[in-house]
Order: sequence, then structure tokens, then C-alpha cells
Amino acid sequence: MLKATSNKRKQREEDSIEEPKSLQNSSLPLNGNLELNDESGDEQSDEEDSDGVQEPFPELDPASDSDSDSFDEDDVEGLDEDEESYPDDSGSDTSVADDVTPFPKPRTIISNITGQPKRVYPEIEPDYDSDSSTEEDPTRIGNVPVEWYDDLPHVGYDINGKKVLRAARGDELDKFLSTVEDPSTWTSAMDKKLGMEKPLTAEELDIIQRLQSAENPDANYDPYEPTVEWFTGKGKEEVMPLSSAPEPKRRWQPSKWEKQKVMKIVRAIRQGRILPSKPKTSSDAPQYYNIWSNEDPSSSHVPQLPAPKRRLPTNSESYNPPPEYLPSEEEKKQWEETEKEDRERDYLPQSYPSLRLVPAYDQFIQEQFQRQLDLYLAPRLQKKKLNIDPESLIPKLPSPNSLKPFPLYKSLRVMHESRVRCISVSPDGLWSVTGDGKGHVLLWEVTVGRPVKRWKFDAAITAVEWCPRKDVTFFVVALEETLHAIIPPNLSEPILRATRTTLAPSELPANGSAPTVVKWTSDLSGSSEDKPILSLRLPASSGSPKQVVFHRRGDYFATVCDAPGQISIWIHQISKQHSQSPFKKMKGAVQRVLFHPIKAHFLVATQRYVRIYDLAAQQLLKTLQPGMKWISSIDIHPSGDHLIVGGYDRKLCWFDLELSDKPYKVLRYHTRAIRAVHFHPTYPLFASSSDDGSIQIFHARVYNDMMTDPLIVPLKILRGHKVSDGLGVLDIKWCSGSPWLVSAGADGTAGVWFS
Amino acid sequence: MSEETASYSAVFTTKTQYSLPRTKYMIPRSWARFHLSQLINKVLALAKPVPFEFLIRGEVLRSSLAEWCAERGVGEEETLEIEYLESIMPPEQMASFEEDDWVSCVSCRIPGRFLSGSYDGQFRIYDASQKLIRAVPVHNAPITSTCWLPSGSGVDNERVVATASQDATVKLTAVSLDAEGSEPRPLASLHLHTAPISSVSSNPDEDMLITASWDTTIGIWTTMIPDADETLPNEDAEPRTKKRRKVSAEGKRKLPSVVLKSHTKKVSGAAFTSNSNAVSCGLDSTVRTWDVEAGVCTNTITAAEKPFIHLGLSRVSTLSRVFVASTDRTLSLYDLSSGRSASAAPTLSFLHPSLPSCIATSTTDEWRCLTGSYDGIARIWDIRSAKAAVSSFHVFENEPLKSKGDRKILSLDWANGVVCAGGENGMEVWRVGESGTVLS
Repeated sequence: MLKATSNKRKQREEDSIEEPKSLQNSSLPLNGNLELNDESGDEQSDEEDSDGVQEPFPELDPASDSDSDSFDEDDVEGLDEDEESYPDDSGSDTSVADDVTPFPKPRTIISNITGQPKRVYPEIEPDYDSDSSTEEDPTRIGNVPVEWYDDLPHVGYDINGKKVLRAARGDELDKFLSTVEDPSTWTSAMDKKLGMEKPLTAEELDIIQRLQSAENPDANYDPYEPTVEWFTGKGKEEVMPLSSAPEPKRRWQPSKWEKQKVMKIVRAIRQGRILPSKPKTSSDAPQYYNIWSNEDPSSSHVPQLPAPKRRLPTNSESYNPPPEYLPSEEEKKQWEETEKEDRERDYLPQSYPSLRLVPAYDQFIQEQFQRQLDLYLAPRLQKKKLNIDPESLIPKLPSPNSLKPFPLYKSLRVMHESRVRCISVSPDGLWSVTGDGKGHVLLWEVTVGRPVKRWKFDAAITAVEWCPRKDVTFFVVALEETLHAIIPPNLSEPILRATRTTLAPSELPANGSAPTVVKWTSDLSGSSEDKPILSLRLPASSGSPKQVVFHRRGDYFATVCDAPGQISIWIHQISKQHSQSPFKKMKGAVQRVLFHPIKAHFLVATQRYVRIYDLAAQQLLKTLQPGMKWISSIDIHPSGDHLIVGGYDRKLCWFDLELSDKPYKVLRYHTRAIRAVHFHPTYPLFASSSDDGSIQIFHARVYNDMMTDPLIVPLKILRGHKVSDGLGVLDIKWCSGSPWLVSAGADGTAGVWFS
Repeated sequence: MSEETASYSAVFTTKTQYSLPRTKYMIPRSWARFHLSQLINKVLALAKPVPFEFLIRGEVLRSSLAEWCAERGVGEEETLEIEYLESIMPPEQMASFEEDDWVSCVSCRIPGRFLSGSYDGQFRIYDASQKLIRAVPVHNAPITSTCWLPSGSGVDNERVVATASQDATVKLTAVSLDAEGSEPRPLASLHLHTAPISSVSSNPDEDMLITASWDTTIGIWTTMIPDADETLPNEDAEPRTKKRRKVSAEGKRKLPSVVLKSHTKKVSGAAFTSNSNAVSCGLDSTVRTWDVEAGVCTNTITAAEKPFIHLGLSRVSTLSRVFVASTDRTLSLYDLSSGRSASAAPTLSFLHPSLPSCIATSTTDEWRCLTGSYDGIARIWDIRSAKAAVSSFHVFENEPLKSKGDRKILSLDWANGVVCAGGENGMEVWRVGESGTVLS
């Protein structure tokens, strides 16, 4: 911009140089005027005459800018004429105007000689100012563009033919200093011809400002001039028509074409194609689209961290706190002695009589530094706070009180001489039989706990089990390599008879298959109450059977022995008095076996896996992986679809057999190894007993609906058995028909738990 | 008004012979039973102090007056009407009888004679000097229940003992109450049940027996001894001959007159409320009342999950209250006269810390009943004060019945101011007062 203005200035200077020349050419203004009139022809001459000097239209400032370039010479002449009509116009102008308009101003005086008024021009002083040709050029290059010397170090030549070197120009630093020191620097521009900065005049600055604000650069230009009525108005009307042609019809006849157009619209309105005064729909309004409407507001921009609120100052922080806030000497000393981090407050209250005496804050630098550290080290991440009520994460379980009945207390106990290893409840739920480590088998009432009968065997009893049949009543006692079937006393006559014929038939059934190694001996003589009526002798060194389990019909029962290298699973059939081992080889040590309550399936729990076999098809159906190191016990839900597995590694796994071969739930509530698990045959309950001496009762509701998961609710922990030699409750059984539990403890007692 | 000076105005009434003039007394609020009893004694100027119990609005006063009033929301301005009666002396032990086996049933209905049935199948009769008069082996299986019947033979001091056993029979044995009397002779055995019998009891006229069995049936029998063995018409011949030979040594074989079948589980107790009505309870959580002659169940009270294990009938004939003990350690009181059917909520229930195994009621005391529980404590309950037992006593605490094991009480009987308790360690007799004067 500055460069542009400087160019203009240059042009103006050129103009100012040229103008005197034109003046020279027309030194006689009147003559020039005449010449102009001759050239412009006859048509305008009368007009010129009529207007005379009063005509103000081509008013132009003679001190105007480069626009004058475009004017023809005759316009300039016209200017000259106007100049005359305003003799005092430029009198108040600046010296620049004087320089630019060097017209000698005539004065009209009365001639002393003639007595007539005459015009007197000031005398022309013949100095250099009067003629531009004599004006000394600041450069020595003549009237040539200065750009020609842009690449050269000099600008023209002096009178001796020596190069005139370019004036030294300051570097950027000088420029900067000058802007700082000289207030007029920013209003100066580089004059290339002179090679130096020249301050801009007020007029030039004014022009620059106008150009910047996109106005007319001419300060005297008035865009709101009054109109001049040249051809209209009073006295200028044209009376005579321009042509003699008759008036055309269309001037007074309504247009047929327009009528057609209007009728077309009218028809359209009548037919309803156009709705007049249709309400403005929203489509008429300009439509704007929010191009960010689909964007997630919380996507990219991290919300600003709100600054932590400052603590309000307290009384002790005042410059003149009340005396009770001032520390005593001991407090001061104590404050100074404590470490900075350990101080209760980071200042010591001090009192100044007036605010003026308060010194500068001595911790200012420290504090600022700490703040910088905070800003630098503080993580700029906003921590997303999980706003979840921890209570809501706990699954909603019904209250145990609503799930009654379940065992609540130990109502009685039955004493044994040594640890009670196994327990079983009769199918009617009223009798219980226990076996202990010294070979005693006790039969007792569940509700009273009185041992009605005792049997004594030579070895430790490892398992007892009632036959689930209702028409016969007996139970099987297992001790080392032997199984005994015993009939309890006080049976009614028909049941006793049926039991006897079942266990000791008068003629032995014909064993079609090859005789097995298991020896069956029936005691056909009468006194069956003290002695077992039927005994089975397993092959030698097969170990003691650690489990006896009946099929639901009571004809088959399976035993599991634990001696390594021998056949561990035997299935015995009472009606045929025959035993067989269905598995020749078994991977892993067999822990427990089970008959499926509904289907002809057989479940075998080895140390780590539970395998389900189809007995009819004689094939492996499924292998369950409880994920525990050593299975101790299994039980199957009466519906046959669910299985619980207890382990020595304290875990209890619930399997949904329809669902997966992985546990549906793993309960880990015992602190020691689980010894026994048992489902209640009718109530939705199951229990687990452990070496920690406790029995845990769970509510386990299984829905017929396949989609609903079983509901497992922990109900009660029954404590009452003492832990002896690291063994707690060795066996538990539910009483069928009642929500009662019987337990066999290693402390030599069997307990009954009532609801 | 400070705590010390605050008082209630009270009027004392009584039905005992110790009556007071009807005047108002200002009683300090902090007074309890002891102070009131002292006041009555002082006013009456009794030579020998008599302890009294106090009833306010039908409730036994167990705390201070202020506490009672605060609990009931009784204002200070109201005049309290306090009834007083002689308080029952704390129970004291009279005798103890050592037995080899557990005593499952006791009876002290005949004064001076104590009957016990034991798990070894014998019943024993003692006299008041703790001397064993008779030990009669009648069953091979444990005896579960017993009761006295009058003897029809007309011999002096001869009675009939009915014993129920786990061998599913009830046997009637005629015994002499004197040591010098004739030998006991078996009269009849009652054959119906196929499972152990849990209880046997007689009707007020003592000419009928009711038995409850584990096989869910209840049998009603007459006490008449048949001349010959009764057999079912369709019973097959072969075992009958066998049976007859066997039974002939034990008495006549007898069949029930009515069999009541409605229970679904073991019936744990049955008793006559009158000569024609009976009540029974069972493990199926029901209490059923029966019309004996028609053999139908007239009313069933079903409690939710309260398997009942014992039943005690209020023996005051004008009332039809039944106490039942359930395995959830409560003693429930049902009023049979209200005629509500299937209403589960008992009129009152008394909470025990241990399983209450047996109930005894008095013939004269309409308010109290006695329970024995498996923790060896017999508790006396008053239905006017359901919160806690009126008094309690530990049985088998003293030598020689003290033993290491549990001290379960299995049976109780209460008659003539004497309580007989049988259990795991034998039998004990305690003197427990009956406030029979209340009724007069």
C-alpha cells in the first residue's frame, strides 16, 4: 500500500512538473479558450455562452490527484477557465498547492495612467523554483525509471562521471529501532528515487485512509450533489410530438395475450392446481443443516477440568488476626521444628498493625514453582468415575426367611465310640443308620436318636446305604472287601417276608453267565436280625468299598473300591445274585459313581472328571470338567438335569447337564475340603459338608422352563461338629419327606438338624 | 413428678381366701411382684408369708408396673385392677429312679404309683418310696407310649396297662399295684398298624383307646377283651395259624373298631377330647379333629412347615385347647372350639431354645402347661404370659442320674401336684404346684 501511494506521489510530482509546460503552451488563457471553442464546434457554443461562468459542473480541484491524467488537454483548458471564476479558491491552500499551481494571481487595480481597472500580475522571480527543468534532481539518473538501477550498487553518476552510490540503508534492526524511537516512522514510506524514507504528508495519509476504507480518495468528492434538472422541469417540457405516427391500439385496448395468461392462472386456481394464499411452508424458508448433528458430542473433546475450588481464607490468615489466633512461642517453635510436609498449615499466623507493613509474600517463588510442577506433572486425563452402587452389583437373592423350611439347629446327637464315617436314612425318612470306624453299625430313630439296634463287625465300616425300595426294607453295610445286607428289626410281617425272599430266595436264580469272582452267600436260617442275611465277598485285595449306591428301583447297587490296580466299580444285581464290573479299564482313580435317577445312565467321577455313560448303548456320553484337582463327592438332582460335585480343594461345582460340560456355578464357601454333597429328594435344598466342621445348606430351585437358570441361594451354615484330626463332617444325608438333615461327624457323633 | 414419687392407683381383687377390702392403693411405679406380694402380706397381717402372683388384665405381671404400663400404653391416671392369687412354689425334686435304658413314657395318674415304659421293652411300676414294684417285659421292641386303664376283673388294686411299642402292637397287661399281688398277665394285643406306634391314650370314660402310628393311621379300640382272637375275614389261613400259636402266649389278638386315615405322614400323637371326639397331630404339619363314631375328620388345622411331634390336651374338661410341639422349637396353642378350619396361625406360640419333645397338662390348672425338651429342661408355661416360661427346672442334674451324655426329656406326666419326667437317664419325680383353686 505504501508503495502504491508512493507511486502516486511520484506521478503527482510528474504532473506538477508537466503542468507548467502546458501553461507555457497556453500562456494566454483567453486564446486557449477560444481555440477550445473552435474545436468543440457550433452546437455547444450557444450553450457555453448561455451558462457562462456560473456553471459549476466540471468543478475540479486543480490540486487533485492522478485522475487528471485521464483528462484531455482541452479539459485542462476548461479547468483553467474555471480557475478564473474562483479566484480565491486556492488562496487558503497549503504550500503544496502553491507549488503545484504556480499561476500568478492577477490583481485588479486602477491604473494611475488611464484610470481604468487593470490586471496586474506579480512579477516572476527567475529562480530555480520557477522552472522544473532547472530543478535539481535528487538523483543523477535523469528522468528514467529508478528500477533500472535496482541491481546496481549505484544510482546514476555525478558530474565527474563517478558513480553515485546508493545511500546506505539501515538493516532490519535499524528499522526496528527507528520504529521504536521515531514516532513518525510508521507514517513514512520509502522513496526509491531518493533512496530514503520520506514522511508522508497529512493529505497522503488521508488518501491512504480513504483507500483503506474503500472510499473515494478525493477528499472533496461529494457523492450527494444536488441534481441539476437539465432537460425536465418547468419550462423544459417538450410540446411537440417527435413523430406523426398514429397512436397504436395497444395503448388503450386491454391485451388479449395478458388475458389468456390471466385466464390460465384463473383456471389453474379453479382446478386447484394453484393454491392462492398458500401458507408459507417451511420449505420456503431457507434450510440450514447442522452438519455436526450426527457427531457424538463427547467424542473428541475432553471436557475441561474444573479447577479445584480454593479454600476460603480463615481468621488466622488475616494480616492482623485476633490475638487468640496468634501462635504462642512453643507453637512457633514446634511449627518450625516439624518437617514441611508434616505441618498442619503451611503458614504461621502473624500480626501487622497495618496492611502497609505486610512484607512481600516470601513463599511466592516456591509456590509458583510448585504450581508449575503441578501443571507439568498432573495427568491431563480425566478419570472416569464409576458411579455404580456396589449394592446393585450383588445379585438379587431372596431372603432366606422366605425360603423356609431348611435345617436350622441341631436337635440331637447320637454318640459313637469312634468317628462316624457313613450315614444313611431310610426311604421313609424316620430311621437312620450310621457306621463308625470301629465296626459298629447303629440304627436309630431320627426324631429321638435312641439307638434301637447295634451290630458289630470286625473292620471299620466304610459305607452304609438303605435300599430305596418301599416293599422291602434292608440296608447294605460295606467293610473291607465285604458287603452285608441287614434287615432292621420291628418290621411288619409282610415286609419282613418280602425282604427275606428278596435277599435269600429259597432257590438260587440260575446264573446264565459265567460265575464271577464275587461270592454271594445268603443266610437262610431264621435269626436274621443279628446277622446279615446276605453277604457279598469281593475279590481279595480289592480294598474296602468306599461307596455303595443303589439304583432307584433297588435291584442294582454299585460299589466303588479304592485299591489301585484292581477293578474298582462293581455293579451287583440282587434278584440274580450276580455281580459284574462294567469297566475293564478306567482312567484315573474312581471316586464316586451314581445311577441317573431317570435315564439308564451311569455317572463315574474320577479324580478330575465326571464321565456319563449310557448303560444301554454302552458308550461314553459326556465328560464333565469341574476344574478341580480332586473330586470327593457327587450327587445328582432328582430331576436328573443337574449335578453337584464337591472337591477336596474346597470347591463345589454345579453342572447343568443340558447346558455345558463346564460348571454353571462354582461355590467356594468352605474353608476346608468338602467331604459330602447331597440333594434333597423332594425339597429344593442341597447341602455340603466339609472338614472345617460345618455343613452348608443351599436353596436350589430348578425350573422346568429350560430358559430359566437354576436359583442357588446360600441359606445357612450349620456348625456343631468338632474337627478332630483334621476331619470334620464326613457324610450328610437328607431325610426324605422332611427338611431334616443327618450328619456323620469325625468327632464320634451323628447329628440331626431340624428345621 | 419424679420417677420415685410417681404412682398408680390400684384396686386389688382375688378369688382366693386371702381377700382384701376394696380400697384404692397408690402403688409406686417401680414396684414389681415382690413388692406387691409384701404389701398384701402386710395388709392381711399373715402369720406365715404367702407369696402371690398378680394378674393385670389377664396377664401375669413379670416386670415392674412402670414397664408393664409403658408396654401396654396405659396412662398414669387409670386405675389398675390387679388380681392376685397364690403363687406356685418353685418345683422341687422328690425322687429319682435309675433305669438301665431310656424311659420313653411315664405316668403318675395313680397316686403313689409311677409307671415307666422303657426302650428295653419293659414297663416298670414304682411306689413313692422309690421301690420297684414290678418290671414287666411285654415287648421285644422299645415301648413308646403307655397309659393306665381300669381293670375289668374287679380284683382290688389291679389295673390294666396299655403299652404301645415300635413292634407295631399295643399290649394290654393286667398288673397288680401291690408287690404281693398276682403276677401280671397279658390280656390282649392290638393288631392294626404296620409301623411303630407313637402314642396310645384312653378316653375320659377309660373304655376306649386311641393309637397313633407311623404308618399314618389312627386306630380306635374298645378296651373289652375278646374271648377269641379276632381276625380279618380275608386274612389268609397259613400265617394265621402261626400267629395264633404265637399270640396265645401274649393274650388275645384284637382288631380296631375304627381306623382313621387322613394324615399323610407319621402321626405323632392322638388323644380323645371327649368320648366321641379325638384330636391328632402329625409330621405333615396338621392338627386334625375327628368324630370317632363316624370315623371322619371334622376339622383340619394346617400349619405351614411345622411338623408336630407331640400333642398335649388341656385336661380341664370345659376347655378344648390343644398344645402341640413342633420341630421348629415352638409350642403352639390351638383353640379347637373356635371351629376355624385350615387357619395356620396358632392362638399362641411359645419359643423354646431346644426341641420340645413332650407336653404335660394338669387336670386342674387351666392356664399352665409343662414341656420337656431335649436340653434337659422342663418348663412351665402360662398362657397368660407367652413371652417366657413361668419357671423351669433341670432334670437329671443330681446324682445318681447325672451322666455324661445328653439329658433329653422324652416324656412328662403331671397329676396331683406331681410331675413325672422320663428321659435318657431314667425317671425323676418333682413336686409342682397346681393352682387349682383358680377354678373354684
